[in-house]
Amino acid sequence: MIKKILVVVLCLTLVVGILSACQKTEDVSVYKLGVAAPITGNYAEYGKGFQVATQMAVDKINAAGGVNGKMLELVVMDSKGDAKEATEVARKFVENEEILAVVGDFSSTCSMAAAPIYTEAKMVQLSPTSSHPDFAGMSEYMFGVMGRQDAEGPFVAEYLAQKYTDANKMAIIYLNNDWGVSAHQNIVKRAEQIGLEITTIENFVDGEKDFTATLTKIRQTNPDTLCLVMFYNELVIIAKQIKQMGWDDLKVIALGPGISEQIIDLGGADVEGIATSTPFMVTEENKTAYDFAMEFETKAGFTLNVHSACAYDAVFMLSKAIGNLGKDVTREAIAGELSAMKDFVGVTGPIVFSAAGDVTRKYLIAQIVNSEWVQMTDYSYVK
Amino acid sequence: MIDKIKNFYTQHKTLVILGLIVMALILPLLIQKSSIMSIIVKMLFYVILASSLNIINGYSGQFNIGHAGFVLIGSYTLAILAQLNISVWILYPLAGVVTAILGLLIALPTLRLRGIYLALVTLGFSEILRLVALNWTSLTGGPMGIKGIPSPWLFGLQSTKPHIYYYIVLAFVIICLFTSYRVINSKVGRAWMSIREDDHAAMSLGVDIKKYKAINFMFGAFWAGVGGALMAPFYKFIDSTMFSLDEGFNILSMVIIGGQGTLIGPVVGSVVVNSITEIFRFADEARLLVYAILIISMMWIRPQGLAGTSKSVIANRGIGSKKTNIFTRIFDKKGVK
Repeated sequence: MIKKILVVVLCLTLVVGILSACQKTEDVSVYKLGVAAPITGNYAEYGKGFQVATQMAVDKINAAGGVNGKMLELVVMDSKGDAKEATEVARKFVENEEILAVVGDFSSTCSMAAAPIYTEAKMVQLSPTSSHPDFAGMSEYMFGVMGRQDAEGPFVAEYLAQKYTDANKMAIIYLNNDWGVSAHQNIVKRAEQIGLEITTIENFVDGEKDFTATLTKIRQTNPDTLCLVMFYNELVIIAKQIKQMGWDDLKVIALGPGISEQIIDLGGADVEGIATSTPFMVTEENKTAYDFAMEFETKAGFTLNVHSACAYDAVFMLSKAIGNLGKDVTREAIAGELSAMKDFVGVTGPIVFSAAGDVTRKYLIAQIVNSEWVQMTDYSYVK
Repeated sequence: MIDKIKNFYTQHKTLVILGLIVMALILPLLIQKSSIMSIIVKMLFYVILASSLNIINGYSGQFNIGHAGFVLIGSYTLAILAQLNISVWILYPLAGVVTAILGLLIALPTLRLRGIYLALVTLGFSEILRLVALNWTSLTGGPMGIKGIPSPWLFGLQSTKPHIYYYIVLAFVIICLFTSYRVINSKVGRAWMSIREDDHAAMSLGVDIKKYKAINFMFGAFWAGVGGALMAPFYKFIDSTMFSLDEGFNILSMVIIGGQGTLIGPVVGSVVVNSITEIFRFADEARLLVYAILIISMMWIRPQGLAGTSKSVIANRGIGSKKTNIFTRIFDKKGVK
C-alpha cells in the first residue's frame, strides 16, 4: 500500500513537472520559427542535418541584420520520427503564440499526422523533405521543398535512362515506402509513353542486406540498364553484389541517393559509372552552395546531403516571406506570401510553389567518374 | 503519515475511487493547453495497451513481445472500415473483436509454447503483420498509409480536439480496467494466475490450460485492438511505420516499469514513461537515455516494477526476502545476487 501511495506521489510530481515546463518568457524582439525534426530515433542522422542546416541559415540571416530589424530564433523539437510525437510537437508549436511558422518534419508520416493540427491553427508547415504526393495538397498551409516525384520520375525515364544512358530494356528496384512507390510509378508511367521497355520491377523493405536473389531474378529478364530507386546505403550494397555476380555490362542509374559522398566512400570501384539525377550540384563555380556545403561539413561532421540543403532553403524562404510582410506578420499571412513567392533561388536551385504548395524542380545528371561526382548536363538538357 | 493515508484508503475505498473519477472528469476543464491534453490522451491510450499486454504477460505468465501486431490490426480495422461510412462508435468494439479472433488464431498453434519460444513467435507475428500492412497496398494503402480517418461525434461536437477525445478514451480506460478487474477476480482470472505460478500444478487441479491460455490471448488482444482503434481517429493518419517492433517494446517497457501482474502497474508505467520522455524534451539527443537508465535501474532495484505485486513468483525472482529493500540490496553484499 505504501508503495502505491509513493507511486501516486511520483506520478503527480511528473505531471506537475510537465505543466511547469510549459511556461516560457515572452520576448517580442525576435521572430521565432519552429523546427520539428527526428533528433532521436531511426532518422536521427537526418534530424541532426536539419538542426545544423537551419541554425546555419538563422546565423547567416541574423549576421546580415535579421528580418525587418528583428532577429530570427529557432525552437527545435524532437519528433523521434514517430507520428504520435509529431502531433504533440505540432500542438506545442501551435500553442506557443510567438512561433510564426514551422520547418519540418522529416518523414511524410510525421508531416501528414501533424498537418491537421497546423491547418487548424492556420500555421505554415514547410517540410524540407516530405515527398508524399498528397502532403502539400492537404491544406493551403502545407508546403514541400523537396520537389514532386512526378517531375523527377519522368526526368529519370526520359532523359537519364533513355537519352543519357541509352537504355532500351530497364529493370527497377525500389525502396518500399511512400517515396519509393510514387517515384518508381512515375518512372514506369513515362517509360510506357516513350517506349522504354521495363523488364521487371522489384521492391525491398528498409534494412534489407542481401539482394543476390533479387538480382539473379532480374538478370533472367535480361535488361541492359538497372534503375535503383533508393538511398545510398542499399545502393552501395546492390552495386557491390552486381560486381560480385560478374554482371559487368549492366548500366546502373539511380534516383534518390543524390550526389552523396558516402556512395563513393563505401562503394569504391564498384560504384564507378553510376549516374543519378539531382536537383542541384555543389561545384566550386556555384559559390553560395559551395561555401554552404563546406561550412556544413565542418559543423555537422558529415558531408552535405540534399535533405539538409532543403532545410537550409526552407528557413530562407520563411525569412523572406516574413520580410515581405513587413510589420503585419501573422501566421496566416506567411502562407499567402509563400505561395505568391516567384523569385526565390536557394542553394538547391530556384523554388516556386505550385497551387498545391509543392515544387516542380528541374534536374541535372551527375555521374561517378574516377571516384568523383561529375556534373554531366545542365538544366537546358531538358527540352 | 503513510499509515494514515493507507487507513483512510481502506476505510473509504469507494470514496477515494469516486474522487479519482471525478478528478479525471474535470481534468480537461483545468488544463487549457491542448498540447498537454494530447499527452494525457496518449497516456490513456497506453494505459489500455499496457493493461492488455499485462493481461497476457502479467496474469497468465505468457511472454508476448509482439503486442504492436494486435494494435496494428485494431487501428487498420477501424481505418479501413471507416472508409465504408460505418460509424466509428461501432468500429471501436468491432476492431477489438476482429483483433480477438486474430489473437485466437495466434494462440491456437502456440499453446504448447512457453517463455522465449512463445516470445519469438509473437515477435515474428508482429513483423509479419507489419509487412502485410506495408505490402497489401490495395487494402491498407501500403507505404502511403491511410489518411483522413474520421473521428466520432460526441454530443454534437466533433471530437478531433484532445479535450473532447479525452472523454472517449477515458470511458474506454474505465471499462477496460473495470472488466479486467472483474475477470481477474473471477474463476478465469484465478485460472490464469495458477497457470502463471505453475502450469503443472494447475493442470493437476483440473484447470484446462489450453482453454484458459486461449481466452487469455483473446482478452488481451481484444483490448489491444480497441486501444489501436482509439488511436487511429485521434492521429487521423496511420501507416505501417507506426507499428514497428519498437512500438511493441515500448508497450512492454511500460508494463515492466509499472509492474506486471497488478491492475495499477500498467497505469503507472504509462504515466511514468510518457511523462519522462516529455519532461526531458529539453535534453535533445539524451532524452531517451533517461528512459533507458530508468529501465536498467528498474531491473536492478525493483524487478517487479514500481507498483508490481510482490506475491507473484515471477515478480519475486531474484529477490531474497520480502524485507530486502533497495538499501540492503545496495549496501549488504549478501543481498546482492
